[in-house]
Amino acid sequence: MAPAGGRYSTAHAIPPLTGPLLKIFTHILVTTVGVKALQLHGGDVALAYAFGVAIDIDHVLKLPYYLKAVGLEEKQLGYYWRSSLQEPVGFFWIVPLCFFLGTYIPALFYFLHLCLDYSVRFEKMPLYPYSKWVARGWLIDMKDNTKELIVFVTFACLLIALYVR
Amino acid sequence: MPADRSLRSLNDRIYRPVLRLLHEVLGLSPTGVTYISLVLSLAAAVAIALQHLHAGLILMAVSQIFDGLDGGIARMYGLGSPAGQRLDTYADRIGEVAIFAAFAAAGTVSVKLVILALVAIALVTSIEAKSGFDPGFKRFVLYFGLWFPYPTLFTVIYAANTAVYVIGLLIIDCKFQVKMDKLGGDLDTVASRAIALED
Repeated sequence: MAPAGGRYSTAHAIPPLTGPLLKIFTHILVTTVGVKALQLHGGDVALAYAFGVAIDIDHVLKLPYYLKAVGLEEKQLGYYWRSSLQEPVGFFWIVPLCFFLGTYIPALFYFLHLCLDYSVRFEKMPLYPYSKWVARGWLIDMKDNTKELIVFVTFACLLIALYVR
Repeated sequence: MPADRSLRSLNDRIYRPVLRLLHEVLGLSPTGVTYISLVLSLAAAVAIALQHLHAGLILMAVSQIFDGLDGGIARMYGLGSPAGQRLDTYADRIGEVAIFAAFAAAGTVSVKLVILALVAIALVTSIEAKSGFDPGFKRFVLYFGLWFPYPTLFTVIYAANTAVYVIGLLIIDCKFQVKMDKLGGDLDTVASRAIALED
């Protein structure tokens, strides 16, 4: 498919290690630690994984745009795959949902998901469409790979500790 | 949307004699009709709160008819304005708050469900101008109270509007993605460059 629209340059693209595969494993790991630590059961486990991991499903929505703008022939690192489904603006509907369901689990695991996403320094729009504020995340002076490695190792150790407890 | 527009103009043709009566004979402006609709909504709320449910629903239906007529007059006589549209939206929301609160006051439904439904509707309204998506699962659903329990209907209003809000956000995201893709250039700064170009 021939790419259309403006051409993207990858001069400052995010390095491959912080690609989607590693991110999803980190999300699964952190969510699993949360589920174990809080000793969740039944529907709460489903909610934890829905809002801690499955919320990433929104990336699929951007696939047609990626294919149109970039095409299949080249791989464009750092493409803007994000949507409001994984920005703080999501709390506007997730907090009421928590009141409706009578559980804090969706908000907590969504918060954990956002914390991880905001460890990568690519641009994010936390309150779009209500605000034009563009953010980069936390500890932006530290390399994304280093941050992700620290998070991964820390939570892997926590998970082991929770299992042997 | 063209289909929406043709449906609207069909409605205008059906309502044309009524619109003439209201505007040319009675001298009512679209704003005046909006206020009549709001007063009828408030009257419906009082009736519902006093547990005269059927009277309340009838008043609500008449209010909704007037709510449709204000736009018809505005279009037919070229009196439409952004301020008028805003007033119409505010009047709708105020009417809904009153009617929904009346159901809680009558003990038909919990305060929690009423607040959740109103929050969900407010969220949809907050992005409707940008998303262009609002199928209107609002007070219309309450007519089904003749057949279904009101807690169920308020749950439907809450759930449907929450879903509409999420879909609306995604529609806006997709529109913004198109802007970013058209802009191109450095991927690391494309979001901030594209958002700077927005109104």
